[in-house]
Amino acid sequence: MPGPACILAEGGTSLLQVLAVFAGAAFLMAFGVLVFGQLVRPRVRHPDKDAAYECGEQPVGPGWVQFDLRFYVVALVFLVFDVEIALFYPWAVVFGGGTAPGAAWEALQQIRGAALWDMLFFFAVIVVGFIYLWRFGYLDWVRVVGGRLDEDKVGATRQAPAPGAAR
Amino acid sequence: MGWIQNRFEENLVITSLDWALNWAKSNSLWPMTFGLACCAIEMMATGAARFDIDRFGAGAFRATPRQSDLMIVAGTVTYKMTSRIRRLYNQMPEPKYVIAMGACTIGGGPYFKYGYHVVKGVDLIVPVDVYVPGCPPRPEALLEGLMRLQDKIRQGTIARPAQPA
Repeated sequence: MPGPACILAEGGTSLLQVLAVFAGAAFLMAFGVLVFGQLVRPRVRHPDKDAAYECGEQPVGPGWVQFDLRFYVVALVFLVFDVEIALFYPWAVVFGGGTAPGAAWEALQQIRGAALWDMLFFFAVIVVGFIYLWRFGYLDWVRVVGGRLDEDKVGATRQAPAPGAAR
Repeated sequence: MGWIQNRFEENLVITSLDWALNWAKSNSLWPMTFGLACCAIEMMATGAARFDIDRFGAGAFRATPRQSDLMIVAGTVTYKMTSRIRRLYNQMPEPKYVIAMGACTIGGGPYFKYGYHVVKGVDLIVPVDVYVPGCPPRPEALLEGLMRLQDKIRQGTIARPAQPA
């Protein structure tokens, strides 16, 4: 029956055997290092080792603090535009006014058009994300609860903060 | 201590393991980024290109005690600093070593007589392995201290002392 076990690697060993040897070696390496370290390493417990590190000061409060979830979106937005800049800059320099000697210059001319369309497509993808952010108000630090920005509604809830009115 | 510590008497396996462990420990002594006073300038010079403490495997200055093996107490230790030094030392994982660098750290130095604020030796707070005298010690002196510490580590053993028959 033809199957993965019948595919022969060099020397007549089946692929499955090779994979088994590799998987076993990988497991033994990781497991062996862990066991060896467990046997030879010194273990001395101390309450200071479990405490948060604050440059030697007595730690204030626990280290597990809840951050505002909005920082996640901020980090994501930063990452998106950071990558955009990182890709746009070399593209603009090389295909905008860059020069190259001889045959490389002709190759540059040939892919210049394709590179433009590639970059426009990439930019379109980024713009979709940007529109999403704008549309759903992630660019406003003070978020509107329960829906998109509606000035009348915001004014109404501000003036009459009835329980559940924000929904 | 570890499971293997003091469990077997000297034999081929244990002495070979000793050699390997001591080689690893002595050649990757990561110091903590910890400068208290003017001696720290000499410590920085020791870390930089001219003296290059990295030749001895001790150039990776870590920003946290959790990754450090070596605490170079470089500078005047004031009473206000003692609890911090002790806490940092406690936060370092074993095996850990301390080098007392400079006259102030060893015994108060110029502040010994009139310094109301200076601890008369950091060995009152943490166990010191190597003392490096000088005010401040030259980078060569710190390197010498590091090499003496490496000698000390290489003499360590995990073997149990032989029982009288």
